[in-house]
Amino acid sequence: MADWVEPVARYILTEGLPATLMVSAAAVVGSGVIGIVLGTFLTIEFPPLRALIRLYIEVFRGLPILVTVFIVYFGFPEVNEALEFGPLTATAIALILWGSAQVAEATRGAVQSIPREQHEAASALGFGWVGRHRSVILPQAFRRLLPPFVSLLVNIIQNSTLAAVIGGIELLQAGKSQTERLTFFPPAGIGEIHAFEIFAFVALLFFCISFPLTRLAAYLEKRLV
Amino acid sequence: MDLLAYDLWAFVSENWRELFLEALVNTLKVSAVAIAGSFAIGLVLGAARAHRIPVVSQFTAVYVEIIRNTPILVQIFMLFFALPQAGIRLDAFTVAWVSVTLWGGAFNSENFRAGFEAVPLRTREAAYALGFGPLGAFLNVTLPIGGRIALPSSINTYISVVKNTSLVYVIGYPELTTTAINIANLTLETLEALTVLGLVYLTLVWSLSAAIRVLETRLALPEERR
Repeated sequence: MADWVEPVARYILTEGLPATLMVSAAAVVGSGVIGIVLGTFLTIEFPPLRALIRLYIEVFRGLPILVTVFIVYFGFPEVNEALEFGPLTATAIALILWGSAQVAEATRGAVQSIPREQHEAASALGFGWVGRHRSVILPQAFRRLLPPFVSLLVNIIQNSTLAAVIGGIELLQAGKSQTERLTFFPPAGIGEIHAFEIFAFVALLFFCISFPLTRLAAYLEKRLV
Repeated sequence: MDLLAYDLWAFVSENWRELFLEALVNTLKVSAVAIAGSFAIGLVLGAARAHRIPVVSQFTAVYVEIIRNTPILVQIFMLFFALPQAGIRLDAFTVAWVSVTLWGGAFNSENFRAGFEAVPLRTREAAYALGFGPLGAFLNVTLPIGGRIALPSSINTYISVVKNTSLVYVIGYPELTTTAINIANLTLETLEALTVLGLVYLTLVWSLSAAIRVLETRLALPEERR
């Protein structure tokens, strides 16, 4: 193997990979929590609340995620200086805004698919609204939520590359900066272009992470629904 | 920095309107080519997979898995930064439509495959019994029924295609996103530029999804019509 390979691979794996995984993990947890709460609220018959959550869902599902990333990264600080975030955090926030809208929509469907009798039975046993949803409805709805949730995970991992656009060092940006470094003359680089090998390596890493997950999503879809 | 200076109307009525319109045309241009392309790819490869045509169907499976399991941004980087290494230099517009078309085509071939596979085998057998050849049976029976089953999911793919055109920002093609960010950098009227950008995309996406609902009810199979 050529001499340049080892440091490039090490940089991508030690600097890029952890950032991608961290942004993705934060985005998935955030999307899950906010999305399930919003989706459950969406089943309440209270028009103003419903309209508000609908608007949130339609806006963040309608915008390209890159635009949401720009809104968070460039727009938020203009509104308030306290809302200034680094590229990776801004990407995670944008992904949560988008992902929670996806989860909310899926949750609404899942909660509404639980038969009315379950609500009535839980009420008859003395559960209030919160207890009823927490102990009876959501655990059942969760089975239906699992396949779309795994697909969401794949989407979030892939879209975490958007951080590269605003200079956050994750897998793709790590590959890009190494590609650029190699084109410099020694001692920094070697004066050669290796864009193809490096981006293929980045693509391969994403493939190795995503492929098992898309298989899992397809399997769950068959088993659970 | 101060919200009091936020003036959307002044921003829009300045010179930027023309630039935004030009950018909108570019976005629509890339989207139109990509939607037509991903429709063609989806139809042909989806049919090949549903009918298990050898070689083409294995090729399609590999193509779909590669596109689905790698980020589209990495695909764009591949086309724009890595291909020149092999001596293939594509301009920004070409990379723009090729990348979103390849992406949309992969997802769409899955949509069409599912649609065609949902057509009951008996229907096809009935077509054969009536004297249709394989191609005739596909064009007259499988396509009209399966195509309609695939319609909602394929239109959702087209909406994603439109949204994904924003990603060609990274190669500097002057579509909506690139233009808005350039104007924001130039004028420092970041919030106004982002507002216009967001509103234009929402208008595009929302009107497309409204069009879907109309199309869906008009093209729905008779038994699904309510």
